[in-house]
Amino acid sequence: MNDTPETGPAELETSNAPRPIWTRLSVVWIVPLIALLITLGVAWKTVSDRGMLIHINFKDATGVEIGTPLKFRDVDVGKVESVSFTPDLEQVQLGVRIDNEVAPFVDTEAKFWLVRPEVSARGIQNLGTVLSGTYIEGFWNNKPNGQQSMFQGLDKPPISPDPTKGTIIELRAKDAGGIVDGAPVLYHGLTVGHLQNLRLDDDGSGVIVDAFIEAPHNKLLTTQTRFWDTSGFSVKFDTSGLSLDVRSLATLVQGGVEFDTFTSGGGIVENEHAFRLYDGKDTAENSVFQSDVVDPPKYTLLFDDPVQGLEVGSKVQFRGVEAGEVTGLAIKIRKDSTGQSYAQQQLTIALSPDRLGLSRDAGEEAVTQFLQGEIQSGLRARIANIGLLGGTTVIELTDVPDLPDAEMNLDAKPYPTLPTAPAAENDLSKSAQGVFKRIEGLPIEEVMSSAIRTLDSISAVAESEETRKVPGELSGLLEQLKTFTTELNKKDAADKTVAALDRVTEAASSVLEEISGLDETLSSADRAATAIADMPLKDVGDKLDTILASIDQLLNKPGTQDLPQSLNDTLEQTAAILTQLKEANAADKLNQTLDAAQNAADSVSKASDQLPELTQKLQSLVDQAGALVATYGRGSNFSNETLSTLRELRRAISNIGSLARMIERNPQSFILGR
Amino acid sequence: MNVLTATDAGLIGCTRCGRVWTPDHAHCERCGATLHKVDKSGLQRVWAWWIAGLIFYIPANLYPMLVTATLGHEQKNTIVGGAMELWRHHNYGVALIIFGASVMIPIGKFIAIAYLALAVGNERRKGGPPHLHLYEVVEFIGRWSMIDVFVVAILSALVQLGFVASIHPGPAAASFALSVAFTMLSAQSFDPRLIWRGPDRVSS
Repeated sequence: MNDTPETGPAELETSNAPRPIWTRLSVVWIVPLIALLITLGVAWKTVSDRGMLIHINFKDATGVEIGTPLKFRDVDVGKVESVSFTPDLEQVQLGVRIDNEVAPFVDTEAKFWLVRPEVSARGIQNLGTVLSGTYIEGFWNNKPNGQQSMFQGLDKPPISPDPTKGTIIELRAKDAGGIVDGAPVLYHGLTVGHLQNLRLDDDGSGVIVDAFIEAPHNKLLTTQTRFWDTSGFSVKFDTSGLSLDVRSLATLVQGGVEFDTFTSGGGIVENEHAFRLYDGKDTAENSVFQSDVVDPPKYTLLFDDPVQGLEVGSKVQFRGVEAGEVTGLAIKIRKDSTGQSYAQQQLTIALSPDRLGLSRDAGEEAVTQFLQGEIQSGLRARIANIGLLGGTTVIELTDVPDLPDAEMNLDAKPYPTLPTAPAAENDLSKSAQGVFKRIEGLPIEEVMSSAIRTLDSISAVAESEETRKVPGELSGLLEQLKTFTTELNKKDAADKTVAALDRVTEAASSVLEEISGLDETLSSADRAATAIADMPLKDVGDKLDTILASIDQLLNKPGTQDLPQSLNDTLEQTAAILTQLKEANAADKLNQTLDAAQNAADSVSKASDQLPELTQKLQSLVDQAGALVATYGRGSNFSNETLSTLRELRRAISNIGSLARMIERNPQSFILGR
Repeated sequence: MNVLTATDAGLIGCTRCGRVWTPDHAHCERCGATLHKVDKSGLQRVWAWWIAGLIFYIPANLYPMLVTATLGHEQKNTIVGGAMELWRHHNYGVALIIFGASVMIPIGKFIAIAYLALAVGNERRKGGPPHLHLYEVVEFIGRWSMIDVFVVAILSALVQLGFVASIHPGPAAASFALSVAFTMLSAQSFDPRLIWRGPDRVSS
C-alpha cells in the first residue's frame, strides 16, 4: 500500500484564536452608549429640577385641579401635582411641587390661599382668574426658618399678603354697623386701605375688624388717630338746613371707615395696634376717650334716685371736667335688711384715665386706686343737671361734704361700685325757670292791644271824611281861580279902551282907587295861600316821627323788664296825642283855612265881576288917561302878580295833596316815619 | 426547504443589486457597491442601533410630546396621553392613527427586529420566506413612525397665535425622532441574507 499515510504528526486542528472581544465589537456600540448617557442625563436633570413637594390642606378647593399654579408675587413657582383628601376626608389635600429656587423660603411662616374672581361693591377683583382659572397664592418672607412640608391653607386671602406694604391695625366697635369684609378705609375721602376679617370679639360684646392701611398712607396713623364709621349715608337736619352726606357708593353698599388725626402728639403705630371705632365723625372728634384705649376702666353706680334724663352716652364729669360716659343703664333688685326687695338704678360708667389726670395708658388698677383715694377725701358720684336750663343730665364725680364715709366695693361684679350721693340741687336751673315764669307773666297782650289801638287812631285820622274832603275843596278853589284868570284874559282891554275914549277923565282917580283896592284883595289871597303853605302839618308829622323814634329807642333798650310797660306807656301817649290831634280837629282847621281861601277867592271873583264896569269906565276915560292906559294896557304888573299868587297857591295845594295821599296810602309810614 | 444560497455556491451576492460575484471581487462591478461576506458580525450593529432606539423610546413616552397653551392655560401631552385625549374627544380615527404610528409601529418594529436578529443568530432555526416578509414589512413601515414627529413639527410651525393658542414641541419629540431614526438604521443594518442561512449552512 503505497498509500501509506504520510508519517508525521497529524495536522493540528487549529483554529484562529478568537479575536479579543473589544476588537470584535462594532464601533456602532458607541451610539447606544451615548444615547444612554444622554437619557440618563436628561432624567437626572428632570429629577433634580423637580423641586420640593409640599402638601397644603384646604377646606374648599373650588377650581383647583392638577396643574393649577402656585404663585408667589404673581409669578408661577409651582404646580399642583395631586389633589386628594386628608385621611379624615375633612379637607382637600393638594400636593404642590415647588420650584427649587423658592423652596428653602417656604417655611413655617408661609401662608397659602386660593385666588378666585370676586365680584363685590368695590368692583370685580382677580378678573384674570376668570380666564386662567383659580390659582394658589403663597406668601413667605425671605428668611428660611424651618422647613415644613405640610401647610394649612387660609380660608380667605389675608388682609395683606405682604405686611411690609402697609400697617395692619385692629378696629373695635360695638356693632358692625353695615361694614362688610373688604369695605374701604378712607382718609379725607380717599381710599387708603380696606377692612377684612370682621368678627365678634371673645366675649361677644363687640366686633373686631382688621384694617390694612397701605403704604405710604400708613404714615398718617398715630396713636391719636381716630376712626369712625361712614357706612351708608347720614342725614342731618339743623338750623342750616337739611344736609345729606354720602361718602361713596362703595360705603353705601358695604360700609366704610374713615380716619383722621385731630390732635397731635401721637406715637408711631405698630402692626396689630387696636383702635376704637366711633359711630360718627362728631363722636370721634369729641370723645373723651383715647382712640387706643380699647377697654376703658368701668365702674358701677347704684342710685336710689330716678335717673331720668340719663342715657347711654351721657357724660360723666370729674370735678366739672368731662371724663367719661355712661355705657349702661339697668335696674337692679336688691333686698334690704328686712328682706324687703327694692329696685335700684344701676349705671355703668367708663372713665378715661387721661381725663382723670392719670397717664394715658394707666390701667384699670391705677384708676381704681386713684378713685379710692379720692373717695376717702369725699368724692361721690351723683346725678346732676347742667346747662342753662338744666336740660342735660350728667353723672358728677365731685366732692360732696357732710356725708358719712363710704368705700368702693371692689368685689362687685361685673365692675367695682362707686359710692353715690343724692342728686344735686341746681340753682341755675331754678332761676332760669323763674325767668321763664316772669317772661310768661309779662303783659304782652296789653301791649299788643295798645299798639292796635294806636294804629286804629292813626287810621281814623287818615280815613276821616274831613281829611278826604281836603283835595276836593282845593280843586273847587282852583277851578274858580282858573275861571277868574280866563275871564281876566278875555277882557280885551285895548278894544274896550278904544270904545271908552270919549269917557270923562274925572273918574280916573276913583278908578285908580278901585284898582288899588283890588290889589289889596289879591295880596290878602296871596297871604292866605302862603299861610296854607306854612301850615305846621309837617311839624305834626315830624313830631310823630320823633315820638316814634323814641319808641324805637325804647324798644332797643336792653332794659327788657321795663320795656313792655314803657312801650305800653309810649303807645298810650301816642294814642293820646293822636286822639288829641283828632279832637283838635286838625283837618277841620285846614278845612277852615281853605274855606277862608275860598272866601278870598270869591271876593276876588266878585271884584272881577266889577271889572267890566270898571273897564267901561276906563273906556270912557281913555283919552284923558293915556299914560295910565299904556300902563294898564301892558297889564304886566297885574297879571304877573296874579300868576305868581296862583303858583304859590298851586304849590301849597300840591303839598297838601301829597301829604294827604301819603296818609291815605300808608298811614303807618306817616306814624313810623318809614 | 432546500434553497441554494450564494454562499453555498461559493459566491457573494451584492446586497444592493442582487448580482453574485466570485469571492475575488471586492466590489460589485454592476452597481459599484462593496461586497460583503455573509457573516453575523453585522448583527452587532443591528443590536447597537436597536438598543439606542429603545433607550430614546423611553423618554419619548415619558416626556410631553406637545405643549399646547390655550388662553394662558398650558397643557402638556405625552404620546399616549395625546392619543387618549383625542379618543376622549371622540376623534377616534386620529387617535388610532397616532396610536398606531407612534406606539404600535415602533414597538412592533422593536419586536420584529429583535426577533429577526435572534432568529438568524439561533442556528437551530430555519429561516425562510416568512422572515424575509417580516423584514420587508419592517423596513417599509419604519418610516411611517415619523408621522407623529411631522405632526408636531407642522403644528408647532402653524399654531403660533400668541396668547390665544400656541403649540410647542416637547422634549419627547426629539427623543421620538431619534428613536425612530435609530430603529430604521437598525433595520437597515440587518443583513437579510442571514435569513437564508439554515442550520446546516452556517459557516463561521
